[in-house]
Amino acid sequence: MRICWMIVCLWITHVHAVTHISVSADSISYDNIVLQQPRAKLDLQSGQQVKVDAARLQIGAATLDKPQIFLNVSRHPTLLVTSSALQSEHYQARNPTILLDYRTHPTQPILSLDAEIKATGDEIWGTFHLRCLVPPQASLQTWQCHDGLYQDVRSHIPFHVQVTPTLKSAAGATSLARGMEVMLNVNQARFSDAAGLHAGENLTGQIRLSAYEQADGWRWKGLFHWTQGELFWQPFYFAEGGKRFEISGFYQAPYLDIEQAQLSLDGVGTLHSKSRINLVSKDFELLTVNATDVDFNGVYKAFIQPLVAKSVFGSLNVSGKADWSFEAKGLQPLKFNLHIIDASVEDQNGKFGFSHFNANIPWDYERPQQISMGYQSGHVLQIPLGETKWQAEVNRFSITAPQLRLPLLDGALDFQDFSAAWINQSMVWHVKMDMQPISMRSFSQALGWPEMRGQIDGEIPLVTYANHALRMTGEMQFKLFNGKVGMSDLEIVDPLGAVPKLHANFNMRDIDLGEITRTFNFGSISGKLEGDVRHLRLQNWKPVYMDAVIQTADGPFEKKISQRAVENITALGGEGTAAALQRTFLRFFKEFGYEKIGLRCELRGDICKMGGVENVPDGFVIVKGQGVPAVNVNGYTQYVSWKDVLSRMQRVTDSNSKIIIK
Amino acid sequence: MTRYIAGVFLAFCFMAAFSHAQAAADLNVNTPAVAAVKAAMQARHAQLSAYYQSGAVGLTVEGFVAVKDASLVPLSQRGALAGLVNDENTDRTHLYQGIAAANGHPEWEGEIQRIFALRWIDKAQSGWFVQREGQWSRK
Repeated sequence: MRICWMIVCLWITHVHAVTHISVSADSISYDNIVLQQPRAKLDLQSGQQVKVDAARLQIGAATLDKPQIFLNVSRHPTLLVTSSALQSEHYQARNPTILLDYRTHPTQPILSLDAEIKATGDEIWGTFHLRCLVPPQASLQTWQCHDGLYQDVRSHIPFHVQVTPTLKSAAGATSLARGMEVMLNVNQARFSDAAGLHAGENLTGQIRLSAYEQADGWRWKGLFHWTQGELFWQPFYFAEGGKRFEISGFYQAPYLDIEQAQLSLDGVGTLHSKSRINLVSKDFELLTVNATDVDFNGVYKAFIQPLVAKSVFGSLNVSGKADWSFEAKGLQPLKFNLHIIDASVEDQNGKFGFSHFNANIPWDYERPQQISMGYQSGHVLQIPLGETKWQAEVNRFSITAPQLRLPLLDGALDFQDFSAAWINQSMVWHVKMDMQPISMRSFSQALGWPEMRGQIDGEIPLVTYANHALRMTGEMQFKLFNGKVGMSDLEIVDPLGAVPKLHANFNMRDIDLGEITRTFNFGSISGKLEGDVRHLRLQNWKPVYMDAVIQTADGPFEKKISQRAVENITALGGEGTAAALQRTFLRFFKEFGYEKIGLRCELRGDICKMGGVENVPDGFVIVKGQGVPAVNVNGYTQYVSWKDVLSRMQRVTDSNSKIIIK
Repeated sequence: MTRYIAGVFLAFCFMAAFSHAQAAADLNVNTPAVAAVKAAMQARHAQLSAYYQSGAVGLTVEGFVAVKDASLVPLSQRGALAGLVNDENTDRTHLYQGIAAANGHPEWEGEIQRIFALRWIDKAQSGWFVQREGQWSRK
């Protein structure tokens, strides 16, 4: 103990007896306790009261402002320390009181701590209370602290804690090592931050910590066991307890080595981790995590789903097992391995699903790795996917595959020269695709459409995706209805954004009208169809611009149209469209000859300017008849809203069963 | 007295800004972008209205929504609540930007946002919490 500058005053009353002795000093220091400008006053009349006022009491890193110390030195002494405020780095306390009371147990005093506290930067004050029984040998025996309670408007945390100073002989050391064991029990605790995004209810559990000093640092061990209650830590939610976290390591400034961390979660499995943290720079110098044979569903529900809740992967039913490992240095990933064993994934909205899914995805910052994944069967929407096995090479942040085959219905998509990379936090990829013919029969069946004949067959030249835009170079071709449909100049800007924008040109040649009309039960038209859709623009997948022409092709083939098809075309033309059927006798004919049939639409915004194969006064010709018997269909409404065009098409394809010819 | 004068002055500024933008900006302009945002907000409203009614979520004076009292919502649903509020505010930002852009004046965004803030609060059903002068009050 060091005392600087001491002054002693004696207070003498009129009867010349000494009533008080005052002692003041500049500072008194003991161990890491410093009392600044203390002034002690001993009441000689009672002989038992000492009162000490001081400017400041420093205990370690904590500072008590204007402390008052009352010491009652009777046979059962008490020591009460009060202050206006306590300041420390992370916490603030006001009106702290510390009471050391020997009145109940002369050998085991009760130490009570009370204060109003709050975290620095928080706005809400809470009350803290703890009562400890100080053992006769305070530096060797267990301190039992009961009735611990922290509470504020949002939190209520009852706890008790047991602290045991230890002396043990460490392996190889000659002297005893000083240490400490702490056991903290929390019972039915509830807490929340102001926003309610970090909160717990009914939390019950135990924390055991032990540490002892070694020559060059501290060896420590911790066990966190959470038995019940629920916890929400944005965006993760854990319910029903059953979690156990064991951690042990070594501390030598500035490094905290976590040599073994083991997190056991009921229904998930066990996760092992090792890390080295620099407490000064707050850097993870090394981090390894590995988990073997964990339940994929448990991992998905606890960790993946909350992170991807809004994406297409946000509502899956999954099953299976997974092995996972991860290694990083200074938060820069070094190695990664994910091994998924016989999993199944099914979107709850039925958009996609895979069964017997296996994947082996290694990744190494230093060297390229081969990844493989595959599934026995799957589906996208209602389209079934056949057994698939993919292999690719992953090199740092890029992935390449010379050949990927995706069996689909009775055909397949063959991707070639696929490559993708993460550049500046955005995805860039390109691919070519060939198609193994898929029959229209299986395709239409899968989508629940009318059964179609023919096949989809074609190739996709180079498709690239960069700067949030997808572009296709060259022309994509499909073989449909014995003819060809080509798409070129495809560009989709921001396909996954709020308002995707698409631009494309289409052309159709040699489409067999007989096939189409039979498929859609439209009546029957023989001949060939051709068409061009120039500058189709979709915004948010709705058309806003196009110049479209579809018409019958010229050629030496039969050109016949059935009565029913005429009625349907009339309905398509809408109000003001008139079939110049001389109904009186033409209704007896089942089919008519035609020269040409065609419709045009110049779409600007929501309005379509309609046209046909020829103009007539106040209108246009949709069906131009030829031969005997012949029929003409004319349209007279030139401007139609796109919504009306769609609803007409809907009506025609829906109501084909009731064609009435008068 | 000075506070009273300042208050009246502010009210005048506010009215001037309000009437100016009213006169100039077409707040009901409909572009595909604005329509998409409005449709998304309408779909979300069904989920949010229960939270407005209970007081878990309130309308802020800046034209956004905020969690007013999360403790009214069970812990298991807090993640969904935070997601809803976040998405709604993102859409509201897009709405203000979209309307300003559709009017050909992206710089009007702030003014449009202020007008919408007043509109939302005006249209709020009784029982909902709205923020006035930094304080929550029940309408």
